[in-house]
Amino acid sequence: MLRTTTSQRFKNGLIPRNISSRRFLASRPDFYDLTSDTATEVTDDMFDIMRSASRKDDVFGNDPSVNELEHHLGLRSLLTQPPHSVLCDAQSHINLYECGGLAYHSQASVTAVASTNGVYLTAEDVDTNRVLEDVHNASTKVIALENTLNGTIMPMKEMQNIHSLARKNNIKLHLDGARIWNASQATGISLEEYGQLFDTVSVCVSKGIGAPIGSLLVGSNDLVKKARHLRKLMGGGWRQAGLLAKIAQHCIGTVVPTMPETHRLTKKLASGLEQLGIRILLPVDTNMVFIETTPMDMKELANALKERNILISSDDSSVTRLVLHHQIDENAVDKIVQVASDLINTKGYIFSRSSSKTSNVDVSKAYPSIQH
Amino acid sequence: MTFTGKTLMRLTTLRMMPVRRSFSTTGASRLYIQNNLNNDQTHPSLQADPNAKVYDFRSDTVTAPTDEMFDVMKAASRGDDVFQEDRSVKELEEYMANLCGHEAALFCASGTMTNQLGLRTHLSNPPHSVVCDARSHVFLWEAGGIAFHSRASVSPVICRNGIHVTADEIEGNLIEADIHTAPTRVVSLENTLSGLVMPIDEIRKISELARSRGLAMHLDGARLWNAHIQSGVPMHEYGAQFDSMSLCLSKGVGAPVGSILVGDHTFIDRARHLRKLFGGGWRQVGPLAAVAKHCIENVVPTMPETHKLAKYLSDQLTSMGIQLQVPVHTNMVLIDTASVGLDVQEDLIPTLLRKNIVIGGQRNKSRIVLHHQVDRKGVDTLIEGVREAITARRAAEPEQQQQQQVAASLY
Repeated sequence: MLRTTTSQRFKNGLIPRNISSRRFLASRPDFYDLTSDTATEVTDDMFDIMRSASRKDDVFGNDPSVNELEHHLGLRSLLTQPPHSVLCDAQSHINLYECGGLAYHSQASVTAVASTNGVYLTAEDVDTNRVLEDVHNASTKVIALENTLNGTIMPMKEMQNIHSLARKNNIKLHLDGARIWNASQATGISLEEYGQLFDTVSVCVSKGIGAPIGSLLVGSNDLVKKARHLRKLMGGGWRQAGLLAKIAQHCIGTVVPTMPETHRLTKKLASGLEQLGIRILLPVDTNMVFIETTPMDMKELANALKERNILISSDDSSVTRLVLHHQIDENAVDKIVQVASDLINTKGYIFSRSSSKTSNVDVSKAYPSIQH
Repeated sequence: MTFTGKTLMRLTTLRMMPVRRSFSTTGASRLYIQNNLNNDQTHPSLQADPNAKVYDFRSDTVTAPTDEMFDVMKAASRGDDVFQEDRSVKELEEYMANLCGHEAALFCASGTMTNQLGLRTHLSNPPHSVVCDARSHVFLWEAGGIAFHSRASVSPVICRNGIHVTADEIEGNLIEADIHTAPTRVVSLENTLSGLVMPIDEIRKISELARSRGLAMHLDGARLWNAHIQSGVPMHEYGAQFDSMSLCLSKGVGAPVGSILVGDHTFIDRARHLRKLFGGGWRQVGPLAAVAKHCIENVVPTMPETHKLAKYLSDQLTSMGIQLQVPVHTNMVLIDTASVGLDVQEDLIPTLLRKNIVIGGQRNKSRIVLHHQVDRKGVDTLIEGVREAITARRAAEPEQQQQQQVAASLY
């Protein structure tokens, strides 16, 4: 399990609080990409760090840098034999954005549950929807949770309840913790505490963490050994990946402590937009804001922002997602609010104040993809 | 001919005749699959001295990044490849597509990925099967990928000449459509295979055959670079025979990570989607693409030297009495040490590790692989080590013979 020495070091003052990653941004210092935190840019200094990494062959298992990092293969290692199914939130990444991988790789059915509260799954949601052992059924063998999900934090209490439920019924637990870092920084709960509830955890280093590539699978020795074999099967056996591992470790150490600031800016952005009348669709717990802009045209807003060097995702709908990370500063946030405000005033948009509409908006459409 | 003449001729012939045959003809060598699988490469118990320079002859995948490469990486673009927004990746993919005479290319994390994606994209409708050489990487070393990813059966062909499969052999192993069968859908070749170059004429024959039957042609060209350098056949000429090719960048070419799949636009679009499914969609990978292109341009031209060095090594080893499993065409020397009484794990590996040389293999068989970061000194040290091991074994033999005599007398 990963230890949270980073937050400890941060608290001890070993990492300066006002670390500004923007000064390392070589390419376009005045350009802000809020389509996703995968847009975190590679900085020049990263290549010097990569240079100092080990250069051994990871398939032969003798690269010390990479042996500490693994790729996301948790679910496949937990699902041993069909018939079986995975229970997860209907909005989760594994359900919507992984090309049907659960069915394809593991021949597993998916029980996609729409959470009652619209934000996170409760133990009751899980209990009512899990598939029982029966000759007709593909019983639930894994409960997969995601934290953060759409930037929202799943409360620890709920995770613990689901954990107990799973254990009682001999069900395994997987965490898609791509952004668990954000959850941890926001709640103060260590990665270790989260990790203890799960059989496998997947954490991403290429999103808010800012490394160029990569994700880690964490689990028991046996599980990770199996996962390594599966990784080779998937074509993930890469050679001199030490440089990628080294830079990932560096980023974890330097970027994670900046997340509270990113979260503060996100909340500032959300409240700024809300004051203008724009609807915020989900709680703003960490680094994402989901907005609904009717009657303002989303494309119009996106274009106006583009002229000011700010990129947001947009399509024909009125829903979008704004994602912040350590390379987005206060400047950008203020600009967005300013541009939105100017647009609203110029066009004379009037926003309805009724909140009853928000709960049924489908945010899954707000996922970025290839711009054609 | 005069008596003197005949004597002279006989003497000359005797001098010219090798002391031992150069190619092992034991029945076991034909079952190449069996021996190849016993190629343990991990040596958990013995390690070379990590502080001194280590020569690793187990594979050309061990080519390590140089300091200079990090400067190349720094200068690359840093866009997101999942959204197809990275310039350096596009440059590499276009370069490779043009080089191979294909429409498009896809940069992936490994040769296993490009091979399996290539095959998977051809194999859309089970029941279906793939025909290939029984020694193929796609069949033996990709963790059962063909069955797993594509639900396809495999018809592995044991080639009679020990070098490459022929069009006749492929034809003889094609499975026709029938209610009982998984008909052949893809012919998958490998070039080089165990360092052996497959002749372009044979490839052309097989390609013609396949196309006349409506079958797809895929090439595992992980080391096609070596074949191209050795044969002089242009890359696009190879490319014309196949619907898809997989070429590796992290082996002899020397890049840290990566492999390329080439094919037409529709094919590559589909492969890209499948790549995401496999978990192969990577983000800011421009640096890896840029350094791969750099390596192609700078390292591939050094391959003739590497091939010469491999030839030199094999000549030295055979002169000691060691046999070759197969001829040396490019950068690999596959040895059989039965004739000199050496067990690779027991005798050869420990001796070589003491000299900071790492090789793989089991029982009497080992595969020695050279690449551009192996110099003459390394090769000479290896040769020295082998000589020492042989001497040590010969010294131990009288003892053993005595023991055997004692045992025999007891019986």
